[in-house]
Amino acid sequence: MAKVLYIDFERCIGCRACMIGCEECSGHDHLSRMFVDELYPGETVATSPTPCMHCATPACAESCPVQAISVLDGVVLSASHEKCIGCKNCTYACPFGIPRVDETRNLMYKCDLCYDRTSKGRPPMCVSVCPTDTILFLDEEEARHKRNKPVQYVWDFGGTTIETRTVIGIPDKQTHKFGYH
Amino acid sequence: MQQHSQNADFSQRPYEPITREGESLVATHCAFCGMQCGMNIRVDNETMSVLGVEPRYDFPMNGGRLCPKGVSAYRQAEHMERLLKPLIRKNGVLTESSWDEAYDLIVSKIKELQAKHGKDTIGLYSGSSMTNEKCYIMGKFARIGLGTKHIDYNGRYCMSAAATGFNQTVGIDRGSTGPWSDIKFADVLLIAGSNTAECHPLSMPYVWGARDRGAKLIVVDPRQTKTALVADIHLDIRPGTDIALTNGILHVMINEGMVDRAFIDEHTVGYEALEEMTRKYDPATVSEITGVASEKIVEAARLFGRAKNGFVLFARGIEQHSSGSDTVSNYVNLCLTTGKVGRKGAGFATFTGQGNGQGGREHGQKADQLPGYRKIYDPAARAHVASVWGVDESEIPGPGISAYEMLKVLGEEIKMLFLVCSNPMVSAPSVGDVGEYLKKLDFFVCIDMFLSESAELADVVLPSTVWVEDNGTTTNVEGRVIHIKGIDRTPGESKRDWKIVCEIAERLGRGQYFQFNSAEEIFNELRAASKGGIADYSGITYDKIDRMNGVFWPCPSEEHEGTPRLFEDLRFNFPDGKARLLAFEHTGPNEKVDAQYPIILTTGRVVFHYLSGNQTRRIEALRKLCPDPYVEMHPNMAAKHGIGNGEMVKISSRRGSIFVPAKVTQAIREDSLFVPYHWGKQLAINHLTNPALDPKSKIPEFKVCAVKIEKAKKGEIPNGESAVH
Repeated sequence: MAKVLYIDFERCIGCRACMIGCEECSGHDHLSRMFVDELYPGETVATSPTPCMHCATPACAESCPVQAISVLDGVVLSASHEKCIGCKNCTYACPFGIPRVDETRNLMYKCDLCYDRTSKGRPPMCVSVCPTDTILFLDEEEARHKRNKPVQYVWDFGGTTIETRTVIGIPDKQTHKFGYH
Repeated sequence: MQQHSQNADFSQRPYEPITREGESLVATHCAFCGMQCGMNIRVDNETMSVLGVEPRYDFPMNGGRLCPKGVSAYRQAEHMERLLKPLIRKNGVLTESSWDEAYDLIVSKIKELQAKHGKDTIGLYSGSSMTNEKCYIMGKFARIGLGTKHIDYNGRYCMSAAATGFNQTVGIDRGSTGPWSDIKFADVLLIAGSNTAECHPLSMPYVWGARDRGAKLIVVDPRQTKTALVADIHLDIRPGTDIALTNGILHVMINEGMVDRAFIDEHTVGYEALEEMTRKYDPATVSEITGVASEKIVEAARLFGRAKNGFVLFARGIEQHSSGSDTVSNYVNLCLTTGKVGRKGAGFATFTGQGNGQGGREHGQKADQLPGYRKIYDPAARAHVASVWGVDESEIPGPGISAYEMLKVLGEEIKMLFLVCSNPMVSAPSVGDVGEYLKKLDFFVCIDMFLSESAELADVVLPSTVWVEDNGTTTNVEGRVIHIKGIDRTPGESKRDWKIVCEIAERLGRGQYFQFNSAEEIFNELRAASKGGIADYSGITYDKIDRMNGVFWPCPSEEHEGTPRLFEDLRFNFPDGKARLLAFEHTGPNEKVDAQYPIILTTGRVVFHYLSGNQTRRIEALRKLCPDPYVEMHPNMAAKHGIGNGEMVKISSRRGSIFVPAKVTQAIREDSLFVPYHWGKQLAINHLTNPALDPKSKIPEFKVCAVKIEKAKKGEIPNGESAVH
């Protein structure tokens, strides 16, 4: 069964080990593809990581004028070195703002779920290093159903519905218990 | 990998590391912090250069997980700023020189100054981020290489209060009473003065492990740390009032019948005085002192008191105070009065800050200590160690003085200083004074792999290796002795720290006591020296560590499997087997706020940096994420002083001042400021901190001093921004 990223916001400590760890995957040219954001700066210390959400219908790939972005077993890969023209269409098209462009090489790069590792049966680097298990690598069904909290993998962007393979565990917003609202 | 049953409940994962063509993996441990997480270092087979890091999924403590410091630790190995040749100050400038010239100069200075001022005129100020082998050899080198009583180490600023607190309460100082996996089985966790998430991130899977089983989390901290953010109860304490808070919790537990009288009667002494002491610390009174709402104190006491199993964990936040060791004891009292010790899920621990903060405080680099946690003034201990060293007992000097006290007598009682693996120009309190003390020295030798702020002031700087270029052992936060495997290389002309002191001893005519060809040979002597001591390593071998993924001390014989959990028989390390319930009055910090300096300053770490930052500030990935210090300030305080987010603030204490940008956040108390301490020179918050020492442990009061703030005026800020890098 395909495995996906599951992210439990509450456990993120904002340490950015995932960002630096991402540089360590052999296929990543020492360029990090992870993002970590402060959610309510000045109010609470809550943070969350954002990897590629691996959309079921990826806007990045659809917007690419040269078809440099391919999907392999549900994983949206980084742009092909040969095809990419560095136009940044993908960056603008992505509702999560994930693809980045290496200006020196005019080449887009993004999370490929550490193809170099996952193809060998190892978890991606962000999952391997995350010190708090904020980022897990789970069977898709388990990620969508079996967790102890509500999850989200369908997103509404102004009427456009996007389904993602990356699953987010939603923090307890009702009681505001852990500083999330 | 053969697993031992003691590792069954840890957090290893069932993956093999990935190996790559032309590379080897060195299964070793992180250089930073007492967790000592397992990691694989990727090494090029031909050039021996360090290429990267690969998770070590099968190591029990961290299962391959790493914090940002761990992921990037290897990047110091090939760093362009590494020292590759000895430096000698010539015409005021540190100049590359030969080892022979450096050794000749050092040895001539030792002989000259000792002839003039006596043996004790040389001081050795060492560090706890070294392996057990190096820490051991520093103690031996000082005592019978140099013949001086003056040795102490930077763990004095770190672990000494916990050590003294544990010793006075349970008679043994091992940082944790149980293996880290025990944390998962607690029903309640009380974490005090520890930003666990940032400073020991790899403890969080254990905290979450307990949470997933339904455990409640109580966090005592003046700041909403990442750890406090996810707590059930956050006791947002006013810095320096922990004894009052713990007395208040004890008061409620006693009043509401939540203490375990059977346990107290059988296994402790001193309860009556403790009950008497805590009587006046009712929740309202304690709330007044601590600034914590009284309902929260009562709720925390009930959560902790009613739970069957529970763990109390603490760190420098409660320890770096002029009452640090007593504060430790009072937190331990919470466990002892409720019988929470000696079994899975019940116990207490201190988070070891330095890589080898545990082992480094056991084998003789403390002023009053000999290997195996022996006391230097104990005749039997002296006789044992003298026999291992092959010297007459009278050759071993008596006790010296503590780290900060040593710095204060530089140029007077101590004319020459060896500084090894330490950077007091960042890490000592009141660093402005420390700079003056160092300048008074006749001769100053520093061993380091980078030119630290302290090394910059030395007369001779000797280049050492980075952690992964040597074999050795360290002892982690649990008391587990682990094996640091090194790459067999010494870049440039760098040498391993132990090799350097052995070669100096040779030139001093003391070489017969320092004939070591490997770290393992040193370890084997350490085993013999520690045999029969409290921290008994005699049954631990490198091979056994590798087989068992670490061995917990005490381990008194080769057949012995080590001691993952202390006090299982509920006998504490006193002749009568009973723990001491000691009672303490709240006295507050040494320096209290007043009209002139009305604000409390507290200091600490961030997740991106380690100790004085001499390593982590040089690693670009970490420096980018946290390039400079800042001050955390509550919006109400910011408004009161007309300070906006990001604006430069001048903070002053009686000892010095600093300019840092404001980070306005509700995550801190209204009456306190927080500044991280990892920087030197004009960015060193330790210009402001109070060098008042805890009389028992001699730990300085880093965690609270009185300051005032004002918005920085234009043109007032020296050098604009960061001058460190």
